[in-house]
Amino acid sequence: MLVTGAATWTGGNLIQRLTRRDDMTVFAVDDQTPRIHLDTDFRKLSLDGLDLARYVLDVDPTIVIHLQSVHRTSEEGRRASSEDRILGSLGLFGAIERLTSVRSVIVKSDTAIYGASPRNPSFLAETTRPQGKPSRHQRDLAEMERFIGEARTSHPDTVFTTLRFAPIFGPKVGNSISRYLTLPVVPTLLGFDPRLQLIHDRDAVDALEHAIDNPTDGTFNVAADGQIYLSRMLRLGRRIPQPLPGRMFDAALRGMTRFNVPAPDHLKGLLKHGRVTDTERMHREFGFTPTHTCRQTVLCGYERIDAKHDEI
Amino acid sequence: MTKSDLTSLTKRELLEIARERDLVGRSAMSKQELVEALAQETEEPSRVEQPEVEVIDDRLDIDGIGALPLPGISPEDRAEARARRAALDDRLSRFVDRSTHCSWTSIEGHPCGLPVLADTVRCGLHGDGLIADKPIPLTGSLSFSAWPTLWRHLSLATYDPDSFGLDPVIAEMTWNVLNALYYDYFRVEVEGVENVPSSGGAVLVANHGGAAIPYDSAMLALAVMNEAEPPRRVRVVGTEIFNMLPFVSHLYRKVGAAYATRDDARELLKRGHLLGVFPEGERGFMKPVWEAYRVGRLGRGGFADLAQDAGVPIVPVAIIGSEEVHPAVMVSKRLAQLVRLIFPEQRVEEIAIALNPIPLPIRWKIRFLPPVEPSGDGESIDALEQLERVEDVRRSIQDALDDMLASRTTAF
Repeated sequence: MLVTGAATWTGGNLIQRLTRRDDMTVFAVDDQTPRIHLDTDFRKLSLDGLDLARYVLDVDPTIVIHLQSVHRTSEEGRRASSEDRILGSLGLFGAIERLTSVRSVIVKSDTAIYGASPRNPSFLAETTRPQGKPSRHQRDLAEMERFIGEARTSHPDTVFTTLRFAPIFGPKVGNSISRYLTLPVVPTLLGFDPRLQLIHDRDAVDALEHAIDNPTDGTFNVAADGQIYLSRMLRLGRRIPQPLPGRMFDAALRGMTRFNVPAPDHLKGLLKHGRVTDTERMHREFGFTPTHTCRQTVLCGYERIDAKHDEI
Repeated sequence: MTKSDLTSLTKRELLEIARERDLVGRSAMSKQELVEALAQETEEPSRVEQPEVEVIDDRLDIDGIGALPLPGISPEDRAEARARRAALDDRLSRFVDRSTHCSWTSIEGHPCGLPVLADTVRCGLHGDGLIADKPIPLTGSLSFSAWPTLWRHLSLATYDPDSFGLDPVIAEMTWNVLNALYYDYFRVEVEGVENVPSSGGAVLVANHGGAAIPYDSAMLALAVMNEAEPPRRVRVVGTEIFNMLPFVSHLYRKVGAAYATRDDARELLKRGHLLGVFPEGERGFMKPVWEAYRVGRLGRGGFADLAQDAGVPIVPVAIIGSEEVHPAVMVSKRLAQLVRLIFPEQRVEEIAIALNPIPLPIRWKIRFLPPVEPSGDGESIDALEQLERVEDVRRSIQDALDDMLASRTTAF
C-alpha cells in the first residue's frame, strides 16, 4: 500500500492507524518531513511527477491512497506554477496505468471543486455542474479528477474511489480553514453569513479507512450531517467575529497570510457564498456515516467537547 | 369591577372576561398580569378611540363630497386588526402545552426550558424538525415578551437551522414584526385559504408586483402562516440577486425563503414543503403602474413541470395590493446599466423608479384559487400539455384579479 501526503495531519493519522493493523505494508511518501513519528517506510521525495512515478513503479502497490492529489501550494493559494501543483497526480496516474497489480485507488479530493457562487444550488450533488468563474484551486482539482477519469477508462478492473472532503476541521489539522476559524478574532465579510459544511478530522480518517475496507467505485461527497452558519460556528467557539466590508476583508485576509494563516482566493469565495453538498450518495452507495454532526464537529474543533473517538 | 373583585376570580374566568374585551396578548399573561390589565381597562374605558372618530368626521365635512377614499387607517381598521391578532394568538396557543417543559440539554450543558409542542415531548427547536413546515411560536404566543427567551437560544446557538437555512428563531421574530404590516398597515384580507393543502407539498403560483420591495412574497407567506389551519410555512423562492446582496443574502434564507433553482425547488417539494413561486419574475416585479395587475408570461412554466414530477397540486394565488404600495412611474434600463457598473456581479436588466419612498397604506386582498391537481399517475407531461396548463393557471389568476378589482371601490 502506498500513501502520498504522509506529512499532513490526515495522512499521518491514517498511516498510524494502518500500521497498527498488520494486514498490510505501508509505504509513505511526501515532500516534507512528517511532524509526528511514522512507524513505517517513509520516503521523502518531491511530488513533481517523475520521481513519484518511478517510486510507484518500484514499490508496485496493490492499494494507492493519494492524499496529496493537489499540491498544498494550491490549497494554500501560494504562488507556484500549475505544473508543480498537479504534476504529482499526473505522474502517479501515469505509473498506475503501467501497473497491473493495483487493485484500488483512493483519491482525496475536495468539495472546493464546486467553487462558491451565488448561482450554485443549495445542495451540491456529485453531478452538479459548478457555476461562476472557477478559482485556481478549483481548476486544479477539476483537472486532477480528469486524470482519474482517464485512468478509469484504461483500467476498468481497478476501483477508483474519489472522496470529495468538506473542509476538515480540527484543533491540530492545520489547514487554512481550521487556522482561520480558530483565530481569537475572526474577520468575516460584512453582510454575508455563509452556510458551511465541515468534516471532523477523525471522521475524515475513518472515511479513508472505510474506503480501503469497502472498495466502491465512484465519486462521493464526504461531509458531516447538517450544516452550520459561520456566525453560529463562531458563537459556539466563543470567537469574536469582526465583520469587515469588502476591501477591508480582502486586506485582512492578506494580512493573515503573514501570520501563517494562509487565506487563498477560494477561501474568500467560501466565506462569502458558503457551500453545502448533498451527502446522500455517501450514505447510500459508499455506506459511510460520519460519527459527528456539523455542530459536534465545530464544538470538537474548538475543544469545547471531547471527540467521540479515542485519541490515536 | 374593582381589582379585589377580579382577584377573587379564577384564571379561566379572567381569561373569559379578557376575551370579551379583546385584551391583546392575554394568552401569554399570568393571573396577576391579567388582573392588573383588566382593572386598568375598567378605569379608562376606550378613551383612545373617541376623538379620532371625530377627526375623520371633520375631514369629511370639510370635503363635503361624502366618503372620499383618503389614505389612512381608520379606528375600525385598528379594532379589527386587534381582534384578528387576538384570534391568531388564541389559535396558535393551542399548539403548545405550557404545563410541560422541554427536557433537552445541549452538549455544553445549556438547558432548553421552552414549553413543549402539544402531544409531543419536545419543544419546536429540539423536536423532530416539525417546525420547518409548521410555524408554531416557540413560547406559544407571538409577542415581544417572548424575545428574551428567543434571544437566549439564538445567541447560544442551541439548535440547528433546517437544510435550507431556515432559522426558526429569526423566522419567528420576523413573523412577529411583519404581522404589524400584515394586520395593521396592509389589512390583508384572505379568501379561499382552505385551498392550500393542510399537509404535503404544493406549488403556490402568484402574480408578482411591487417595483421596490417584494412585499407580496412576505404577505403570501404570512397569509398561510396566519390564516391556514394548521399554520404552514411557504418557502418562497427568490432569484440569485438575493444571494448577492449584503445582509439579504443570509436573512432571506433564515426567515424561510429559498433560492430559485430547479434542484432546490425539487428538493423542497420532495420534503413536502409548500413552494411559493412568482414565475413572472423580474419583469412582473418591475411593471410600471399603468400595467398593474396584468399577469405577464409565467416564465417558461417550469413550475408546472416541477409540480407534475413531484405529483403535487398547483394552487394559483391572486394578490391585490402589491402593485400600488410603491407605484412605479418609470422603468429605466439606463439606471440598471449604472447599477451594473458599480456592482458588476448583479444581473439587473431594468430598474423601476417608484413614486414614493414610504409604502402606501393599501388594503390588500389575497385569494387562493382551487388547486390544479397533477394529471394521472405522475407521468411527465409533454411540452404542449405543460404550456396549456401554465396558460390555464395564468388565466385563472387574471380572472380572479379582474373580479377582485371590479368589486374594489378604493385602494385604501
